Amino acid sequence: MSELESRLIRCFSSVFPALTPEEIRAASAESLAAWDSLAAVTLVAVVQQEFSVQIDLLDLPELDSFEAFQTYLRRLAACGGAAGSQ
Amino acid sequence: MIEALELLAQPFSKEDPEFRVFLACGFTPLHVRTFLAAELRIRLPQHRVGVSTGLFGDLIGNIERLEPSGVHALAVVVEWEDLDPRLGIRRLGGWRPSNLPDIAESAEQATARLQRVLLKVSRLVPTVVCMPTLPLPPLFWTAPDRAAYFELHLHQAVASLAASLSEQPGIQIANAQLLGEVSPPNQRFDLKSDVITGFPYTLPHASRLSGLLARLIANQPLKKGLITDLDDTLWAGILGEDGVNGISWHLGSQTHMHGLYQQFAASLAGAGVLIGVASKNDPALVEQAFERSDLLIARSDIFPFEVHWSRKSESVKRILDTWNVGADSVVFIDDSPMEVAEVKAAFPELECIVFPKSDYQRIWDLLKDLRHFFGKPLLTEDDSLRLGSIRNASEWRESIQSAASSSDDFLRAAGAVISFSLTRESSDARAFELINKTNQFNLNGKRLSESEWLNFFSDPTAFLLVVSYEDKYGPLGKIAVLMGKSNDCRIWVNTWVMSCRAFSRRVEYQCLRYLFEDIAADAIVFDYQPTSRNGPLQEFFASLLGDPPAGEVCLSRELFSKNAPPLFHHIRKAVHV
Repeated sequence: MSELESRLIRCFSSVFPALTPEEIRAASAESLAAWDSLAAVTLVAVVQQEFSVQIDLLDLPELDSFEAFQTYLRRLAACGGAAGSQ
Repeated sequence: MIEALELLAQPFSKEDPEFRVFLACGFTPLHVRTFLAAELRIRLPQHRVGVSTGLFGDLIGNIERLEPSGVHALAVVVEWEDLDPRLGIRRLGGWRPSNLPDIAESAEQATARLQRVLLKVSRLVPTVVCMPTLPLPPLFWTAPDRAAYFELHLHQAVASLAASLSEQPGIQIANAQLLGEVSPPNQRFDLKSDVITGFPYTLPHASRLSGLLARLIANQPLKKGLITDLDDTLWAGILGEDGVNGISWHLGSQTHMHGLYQQFAASLAGAGVLIGVASKNDPALVEQAFERSDLLIARSDIFPFEVHWSRKSESVKRILDTWNVGADSVVFIDDSPMEVAEVKAAFPELECIVFPKSDYQRIWDLLKDLRHFFGKPLLTEDDSLRLGSIRNASEWRESIQSAASSSDDFLRAAGAVISFSLTRESSDARAFELINKTNQFNLNGKRLSESEWLNFFSDPTAFLLVVSYEDKYGPLGKIAVLMGKSNDCRIWVNTWVMSCRAFSRRVEYQCLRYLFEDIAADAIVFDYQPTSRNGPLQEFFASLLGDPPAGEVCLSRELFSKNAPPLFHHIRKAVHV
């Protein structure tokens, strides 16, 4: 498991404390009833703090799964963001 | 944020009491709710903290619909758009110059409505209010450098509301200046978040605002006394070396910060904080120094003076004994790190601070820290009597120990007057304070939260008896409080406390005589529980019952009449029911 993935799992776990790491990896807005708009905004806030990145709230619709967050953070890191380097 | 969420995910103990807070705001509460719940959980670890919220965009309606009995505290966060939606950015309603008079008038009406509902609800639930923290939008026609008339008008309306509410015993207003120190105004507003999600704060602002609200809701116990050194602390210089006229605290001698400290200590004394002196010095010289007319704290503001060459920890012990308070309620300040270390070793619970002489900024910070330790929600008449009554109690103890006559003769000659005030209202702040800080003569050691205190009086059979005392040595002020319920000829007493300053004067017997005679009780049932500190109350019950009781006590009028000692007080009574 990469460092990015383990830190992202911690972020998800803080918002969805009932999920196991395995369930978190498979989590998506479609499959998880608790993933409502409030949870989505909270997730973004937590991820921003944890990875010291700025997530554009207009990108919220795109961030609809654990996988999508991971891809987004990798893209930010590739563009010179701090996500991958911490 | 992640720490706050993880903290909130930790399981509660089902046995812990609930502490429910209603967060009233017009915006999406989102992270403020999370941070507030986490901050409260840290401050109230033995409680099951819950934070509930209301509807979006209806701050005042949320408070109006609140069922006060369902919550233990109310936190209200006002923003400009709660006063008129056009003062926010999410609703477009017109910023033409011709709209401004209407916006100002509408905001004034909203503040009046807010005031009405807060006055009503704060009588039943402790309330914390934070006035607008975000900038007004650029709706005025002046350049931003210049304050606009309507802008000032709006600020005035909010300031008037805050000032008026701050006088209410059940309301605390969050300090905007303090919030400004920890959350700079230009780093608070998250415009994009406001537009997209309805949550207008940056995360740091949400966190700091929530921390402030939590501190106001879950107040830490206040300190009661300050013990200060003299040389290079209360004044600059060494009295024994520089002489009475050589010590200073003035601008000209660049020792002004000591003058500021004197002024501050006098301010604390005026607010009822006990001030004592522990100084290794010549007592005669200290006497002379306190005769200087330019000193900003009077000799009469300080009691006792421990001035000699013995260890500071011995001085501190004697002062604590005279005040009859625990070390955890006192702050000790001395310029010598060695003296501070010696005292700290003897009293680990004491808050010990090295006076940062010649460091202006750190002295300034010290004064602010002391306000945190000693800050009071409001001043009562008893605050001005406290030091005098401790002197009185000290003189009383010395007199009764040296009196040649019997204690009956001594008490008769004291000319004591006891005033009873019977009420069914919760407005007596001193009574609430006394209940929550008295340990020795305390029926069961139970503390009351503000909401428990307010709710108690919703029962029509509930009463509050407040007892004041004075004698030829001076007034002690309000020294005893008894809360209970009366039904037919029986009284149930839930709470009974008496200040240790009133010991040995038979005030406690007079309280019971009042209940038996004036409320016409045949029997009184006490919710008594022995604690590690209520020995004086245990001895009192033993004097009436023969043995110290183990649990609930039922005292009949006959038994009281048979075992109570002679009472010599003059009695004054006031009934407000």
